[in-house]
Amino acid sequence: MAGLSFVVLLIAFAVLYPIFGPDPLKTGPPFQPPSGDHLLGTDELGRDILSRLAAGARISLFVGIVVQMIALTVGITMGTLGVFSPTWLRNVVNRFTDGMFAFPDILLAMLIIGVWSTGVIPVIVALSITSWPGVARLVATQLASLKDREYVAAARAAGASTRYLILKHILPQLWGILLAVSMVDMAGTILAESTLSFLGIGVQPPTPSWGSMINNARGDMNSHPVLLVWPCVLLSITIFALNFVGDGLRARFDPKNNSREA
Amino acid sequence: MRLAKAILLRLLFGVVSLIFITFVAFIADELAPGDAATVRAGEKATLAQIERLRRDMGLDRPWHVRYVETLGKMSRGDFGESYLGIREPVIDIIKRNLPMTMRLAMVAILLAVTIGLTLGTLAAIYENRGADRAVLTLSTFGVTVPAFVLGPLLAILFNNYLNDYIYGSFGVYVADSWSTNRKQADWLYLILPVVVLSARPAAMLTRLTRASMIETMQQEFIRTAIAKGVPFRRLVIKHALRNAILPVVTATGTSFGFLLTGSFVTESFFLLPGLGRETIEAIKQTNAPVVQGCIIVTGLMFLAINLIVDLLLPALDPRIREAQV
Repeated sequence: MAGLSFVVLLIAFAVLYPIFGPDPLKTGPPFQPPSGDHLLGTDELGRDILSRLAAGARISLFVGIVVQMIALTVGITMGTLGVFSPTWLRNVVNRFTDGMFAFPDILLAMLIIGVWSTGVIPVIVALSITSWPGVARLVATQLASLKDREYVAAARAAGASTRYLILKHILPQLWGILLAVSMVDMAGTILAESTLSFLGIGVQPPTPSWGSMINNARGDMNSHPVLLVWPCVLLSITIFALNFVGDGLRARFDPKNNSREA
Repeated sequence: MRLAKAILLRLLFGVVSLIFITFVAFIADELAPGDAATVRAGEKATLAQIERLRRDMGLDRPWHVRYVETLGKMSRGDFGESYLGIREPVIDIIKRNLPMTMRLAMVAILLAVTIGLTLGTLAAIYENRGADRAVLTLSTFGVTVPAFVLGPLLAILFNNYLNDYIYGSFGVYVADSWSTNRKQADWLYLILPVVVLSARPAAMLTRLTRASMIETMQQEFIRTAIAKGVPFRRLVIKHALRNAILPVVTATGTSFGFLLTGSFVTESFFLLPGLGRETIEAIKQTNAPVVQGCIIVTGLMFLAINLIVDLLLPALDPRIREAQV
């Protein structure tokens, strides 16, 4: 529950605070302590820290949600094709998924960004390309176990087409577990986005993001450690919370859930 | 004979993965805007000049011909040359940066395995008691706190509070950066980077060891060993751990992937002259040949480690060995 409330609060903060708060790009006197105008003070260029945190939360959540939507769409399609399709197509799809799965994903993401460009769109594309194989594999194993159940055979005997079966009878069984997995995956995506931004090859300035805030704060970390602490803490709690929510959902939706899972 | 066949198949799979990596790297470069001819021609070149240069460099031939040619060159250690500066061959850049990355990765993985096995076993023995809870909490932090958060936080901690204390006790500044203040032996600069780098793999291996040990400790043969009166230390190390260690060995290979990710961050943050930092610099300067070369070599390291791990498994586990003979 704590995880879920934090995620809801974070979304509200990201959506609402930029409407009321100071402009995150407006510069002023640097290193101001917290005050009525700047609730958390200002950074090395005199920009409002709380506003920048909110804008960073927007970017992170946006990238996380978009990437997971793409990953779910592609993953469900590939996973379904990997179980219900002609043998030759099934082999091609499954081998392709295996190959993508085995490839260290940060390398692929960096390769894509490296030869293409930096910025929000390349980051989304790179992370989408690397995050669907996990979903595809999960869908494939679940479908393979569901497709021989009695209720599926019954529906088939009643004259249901394969397409109708998949859409109406089999996939609806998976929404819960897929939601759980995408929460955990979204934590991974947000982490990857901030890693890339931290390294200076993700979201580019002046757009604020947690990763680049951490990177900027590095220069003044001995004199003004607070600048570094805020984005670090917020990012860590976000990843923590999303993992909690995902685990909670999994415990609820997965009957085979093993509490001792590593 | 079956074992030899399995090993051969595994080697074949390694080769296929390698080709896959080079292919992806090649295609990515192919789809990207701009090519070697545009860069070499310089900014003032006309379209006709670029076109001529492209023909001279053989870039107008179909992609599969050039891919095979690139593969041939790579196998001879020719990864092209940097777009920038003195056009240094990429292989020289890699040779200069690889030792640091290797050293970091090897020390970090050793540390991670040591911590993982020790803490994981301890947690399993004290399941659901204080020590177990402490280890679980610690490992949750290790998994969720990213390297680029841990690095700065440790650096602040050491620079502002702990360094003088440690310097007083051991004569060592722990959080000193590589490039600025080289008064100490090389390895001393690596303490914090190695700790940061190994945190995540160590935490994952700890959790895995714990889960695997708990499962093993519940099995019949352990009960038999207890009934026979095997001393506890021997029971844990010789009987349980030897069985529980197999999934951990496999995971060590995969966690090497996290180590590579971590090395990009750690080397950039601590300013260490390694392959990870070089890759990031090259990406920032859109220096495609260097990006390509570095990523292929990094991928190669990942493949090699996983190959070694997979070949090691039959040696460790007689069940796998005999199933395949």
